[in-house]
Amino acid sequence: MQAFLNTVLVGLVTGSVYALASTGIVLTYKTSGILNFGYGALALFTTFVYWSLTITFHWPVWLAAALVVLIVAPAIGFLLDGTLFRKIQGQPIVIGVIATVGLTVLIQGIVILIWGGQTRGDVPSLFPRAPIRLPGGLHIGVDQAALFGLAVVLALGLSAMFRYARIGVAFRAVVDNRPVAGLMAINTRYVSGLAWAIATAFAAVTGILLTPRLLLDPVLLTPFIIAQVLGAAIVGYLRSLPLAWAGGLFLGVSQALLLKYAGSGSGIGDLRSAMPFLMITVLVLLAPKTLRVAGLGSSFIVKTREVTGHASPQTRAVIGAAFFGLLALGPAIARGSISWRLSLTVGMAYAIVFLSLVILTGYSGQVSLGHTAFMGIAAFTTGHLVADQHLNVWLALVFGALAAVPAGALIGIIAVRVHGLFLALMTLAFAFMAQDMFFKQPSVSGSNGGIPVPRPPGTASTNAFFYLVLAVLLVCCLIAINLRTGPTGRVLAALRDSEMASRSLGINVVKYKVVIFSISALIAGLGGVLASMVTEQATSLSFIPFLSLAYLTVTVVGGVFHVGGALAAGMLWGLYPKLFGHIDIMIRLENIFFGLGATLALARNPEGLFGEFRWIGAQLRSLRDREPRRVAAPLPVAGGQE
Amino acid sequence: MSELRAESVTVRFGGLTALSDVSIDVPSGGFVGLIGPNGAGKTTLFNVISGFILPWRGRITFDGQDVTRASASKRAAMRIGRTFQKLELFGRMTVLENMLVAAEAGAKRLGLMTDLLHLPGRHRAERRSAGIAEQVIADLNLGWARDRRTADLPVGSARIVELGRALCTNPALLLLDEPSSGLDSGETEGFGALLRRINEERGVGILLVEHDMDLVMDVCKKIHVLDFGRVIATGTTKEIAANAAVRAAYLGEEADEAPASPARR
Amino acid sequence: MKPLLHLRGVEARYGHFVALQNVSLIVPEGAVVALLGPNGAGKTTLLRTVSGMMSLSRGEIIFDGAPIQRLPDYAIARRGLAHIPEGRGIFPSLTVRENLLMAGYGAPNGDGALGRVYELFPVLAQRREQAAGTLSGGEQQMLSLARGVITRPKLLAVDELSLGLAPILVAQLFDTVARIRDSGTSILLVEQYVRHALRLADIVVILHKGRVAFIGEPGELAHDDSLVESYLGGKSSARFGVASEDAVALPMKATASSQRSKKRRVSRG
Ligand SMILES: Nc1ncnc2c1ncn2[C@@H]1O[C@H](COP(=O)(O)OP(=O)(O)OP(=O)(O)O)[C@@H](O)[C@H]1O
Ligand SMILES: Nc1ncnc2c1ncn2[C@@H]1O[C@H](COP(=O)(O)OP(=O)(O)OP(=O)(O)O)[C@@H](O)[C@H]1O
Ligand SMILES: [Mg+2]
Ligand SMILES: [Mg+2]
Repeated sequence: MQAFLNTVLVGLVTGSVYALASTGIVLTYKTSGILNFGYGALALFTTFVYWSLTITFHWPVWLAAALVVLIVAPAIGFLLDGTLFRKIQGQPIVIGVIATVGLTVLIQGIVILIWGGQTRGDVPSLFPRAPIRLPGGLHIGVDQAALFGLAVVLALGLSAMFRYARIGVAFRAVVDNRPVAGLMAINTRYVSGLAWAIATAFAAVTGILLTPRLLLDPVLLTPFIIAQVLGAAIVGYLRSLPLAWAGGLFLGVSQALLLKYAGSGSGIGDLRSAMPFLMITVLVLLAPKTLRVAGLGSSFIVKTREVTGHASPQTRAVIGAAFFGLLALGPAIARGSISWRLSLTVGMAYAIVFLSLVILTGYSGQVSLGHTAFMGIAAFTTGHLVADQHLNVWLALVFGALAAVPAGALIGIIAVRVHGLFLALMTLAFAFMAQDMFFKQPSVSGSNGGIPVPRPPGTASTNAFFYLVLAVLLVCCLIAINLRTGPTGRVLAALRDSEMASRSLGINVVKYKVVIFSISALIAGLGGVLASMVTEQATSLSFIPFLSLAYLTVTVVGGVFHVGGALAAGMLWGLYPKLFGHIDIMIRLENIFFGLGATLALARNPEGLFGEFRWIGAQLRSLRDREPRRVAAPLPVAGGQE
Repeated sequence: MSELRAESVTVRFGGLTALSDVSIDVPSGGFVGLIGPNGAGKTTLFNVISGFILPWRGRITFDGQDVTRASASKRAAMRIGRTFQKLELFGRMTVLENMLVAAEAGAKRLGLMTDLLHLPGRHRAERRSAGIAEQVIADLNLGWARDRRTADLPVGSARIVELGRALCTNPALLLLDEPSSGLDSGETEGFGALLRRINEERGVGILLVEHDMDLVMDVCKKIHVLDFGRVIATGTTKEIAANAAVRAAYLGEEADEAPASPARR
Repeated sequence: MKPLLHLRGVEARYGHFVALQNVSLIVPEGAVVALLGPNGAGKTTLLRTVSGMMSLSRGEIIFDGAPIQRLPDYAIARRGLAHIPEGRGIFPSLTVRENLLMAGYGAPNGDGALGRVYELFPVLAQRREQAAGTLSGGEQQMLSLARGVITRPKLLAVDELSLGLAPILVAQLFDTVARIRDSGTSILLVEQYVRHALRLADIVVILHKGRVAFIGEPGELAHDDSLVESYLGGKSSARFGVASEDAVALPMKATASSQRSKKRRVSRG
């Protein structure tokens, strides 16, 4: 009994950390309408500042903490709001997701640049660690008790603020309808800046309180925090602070119990890390309808800069043909360098993956943060079909890609019930569960962490394989173009703009959601198999869930609305290491580069790199037509109107 | 044929009874008005009829079939079309594309493979729906806006686009929720005639929610009046205009006779 | 009368589209100015530039003696200019009460003000804790209006006051507007119900394709059929001014026919 109680107590303490952190993320969500995936990264950065001040400069802990929490963090929050978040508010959920994921990548890059990649175990604690004895032979540390108390106070205090204080309501008003909030004499810049300042301060508090017990690790801390925090926050459906707090405690306790009683053996032990995602899945599926479909942030895109008008179909066909023609010459041009040819192949394989995201997100407005799951399913299936069933590799490739389709269809069915942000979270949870419960199993990914995925017969050579990937990419591009320009594409665009109107016209929403997710999964699966064939093996590390976020980010940097964007993204992804590999600083700046691309560029131009090409094209056309250029200014939108 | 009946429909939102025991009917090809004060439950009734809200009690039959539990898209396929009080256009698509989506939704299903692989069938289907869409655009004088994004249109024109989009599905019954709100005087002018033409030439039954009494009295043959979720009157335009309860609840005493604003003239 | 709001040579654009061109007008203190014009004339755009929702590309706006064209929206609102935007500018996920709480943010508005509003719109009192997004169309319009009134602004700029409201309520609302005017608030009124607007207005401004086509008293307008015909829609002038005779002769039909005139006809009322 005492052992049980002690386990519960340990769980409660860990849980209160989660609780504190999840209060912070719910706070950001309520005040800005953006689910901040960068929360963990902000905690990381501010904690490193705190670490520097205390360890390197020997400041007293309280002074350092005060500086970080009260000045540094709020300043960062204000800055982020002004440069980024204010500009993307009210945009589709995917934009917010990508911006904050990009922020994570950016901040991690900066942290590693400044402080290096080592883990720090010496973050000083604000509170003494002296144990407090409780009746029944239980004991906890003073720091833990303080943490617990702080989490309670903050959760209750903040929720009271939201409910009763004018500023609390004002935060929500600005999220709800920013233009009208201005008319109500609310200084929207100040309010949203303040919201981000508070939220960042919260991230700092979380990091500073957490890391003395955990380790300050520049790579692992962020995903860890995010995973736990989302699991906890989902209990209050991202809105209720007290429930998020309770969710944190529940998560902590259940993980402690799982660790103690279920052991860390295979299978069920992984349940522990999958726990937050199980919670997300179950709770989102059970959510009442109003919550499932609501999700903050309207679907009304206000593109900050939009190039209206298109090049003529002929011009586009010529440009497309030229691009593929040049690609086809790639092996001849890079005759001397295998690694160049391989990089191009990798770029094309990933362009296929990115294309699946263009179809899903750009064409139909659905967000998936779980595409690694589809890739993994396809790659491992192909590998096993070849290794265990001795199937012809061509057939195995096809069946492997097809194996991703049921998974895609399943998510499609869920997407009928669950919308927006919650859907995005579900897909992320799906990727994590696929990873934790399947891909990591030796029976799936082999006993030494990988299984072979051979290239199809006749394409073993670098060049032959290059042309195989090129051909698949070309076919996928053509299908995507047909999809976009045809009736199905129009229905998808319609669903993106108004699901209600679509239903009133007799459009079968279930069918189209299942179809689009299936097609996207199929193409992602193809890309996954081909990418594995480059190295001729699939490992569980090839499909870690956070890569899904990276893929989406890169796709957005390339341009998520167009086929050309996927191609641009693929080339970026494949060639970046080649182009800048010899410049040390450029490699170290890679994260920062992509992060900045996804955040700042997004605030300016949601169409990404390909949007820049289109813009140049529009300039050329207007030169030719001697007309003023057709770039629409930002549309002022009285929110709630459409 | 395509007669609509709502029988004893009751809808509750939490503690609020938005509709209680409401029965109305729209004969095939009829032109019926539905009026009532703000918050009377008109939009709610539309949502029940078109399948966006499941009634707590009651039955909807269309064309002799019970459709109470049918999905919204099923009902649209049975040729019940509608517009929305709060515009629901596909804002980032052009007027033509809005119409095309509707025309294609109303058409026989095009195989996915035909579409993705651009087989010959796709071309035929596209020509057919383009024909419908262009026809409606011409009928409604929307030619000038054909290639404009609907989000950029003035409200009045957007309303007409929404009406046109519903027409593209070839409905047998149209539910119109305040289609003339936001139209200017010039546009309102021809609007009644337009509705009548749709009703008479195409034989489309219309159920019209409007606060513009002029329009309602002008075009409707029969009127149902809702107040606080109940039907308080049903009758011809004359009967309704003379009905004391309706005047008290909805029309108000005639503003012309009494000096409405004490300070002026 | 002292000018409260003064626009001088205002130009506003959406991208390259010029929505307002060289617009000059004055709203005197304590007056009701009706801003009329067909769809797309630029009425909404004009209110947006006045309240700072949109910046102007040329010209000057003076409110209460000070130029405001460079001020942000909230600062303009704090000077006592309330803009009730087109299309129900409410906060959909906030409750009715919270929506009202947000009105005139920064200015105190005690329970007294809330009570007044509930008295004016009893429905809102009943729906106090309902999320504003689930209100009926007309209820949302009332809420929007209530928020403008609650702050007792110096100038109330209303975009399509009567949009989607039942006739009985429209009549009441115009009475309310008259009362608000009598309590010292000036009003800039965009309205499609021309007859109602003209009855109340001291000054009429007609916009057409982004330019001022007419400024004058309602009386002048009544005598100029061609103006009415060309700017306020089709045949309205043909039946101009006959409404009241109908009303006397046929009480039953009067409802219908005089209602008919509310949008199409221009009458002195
Ligand atoms: N989801 C909801 N939750 C709670 N109440 C609701 C909900 N939807 C509608 N209501 C209430 O039900 C009543 C009927 O609303 P409905 O939209 O049907 O009115 P209406 O007759 O269309 O009015 P209007 O002419 O103003 O559009 C209103 O009082 C509204 O506040
Ligand atoms: N966000 C926008 N982007 C581009 N053009 C716009 C935008 N809003 C309005 N316009 C255009 O500006 C012009 C003036 O529009 P505005 O909304 O001011 O007219 P209005 O007089 O208020 O008309 P309505 O009676 O329809 O409300 C119209 O031609 C309209 O198409
Ligand atoms: Mg309604
Ligand atoms: Mg307008």
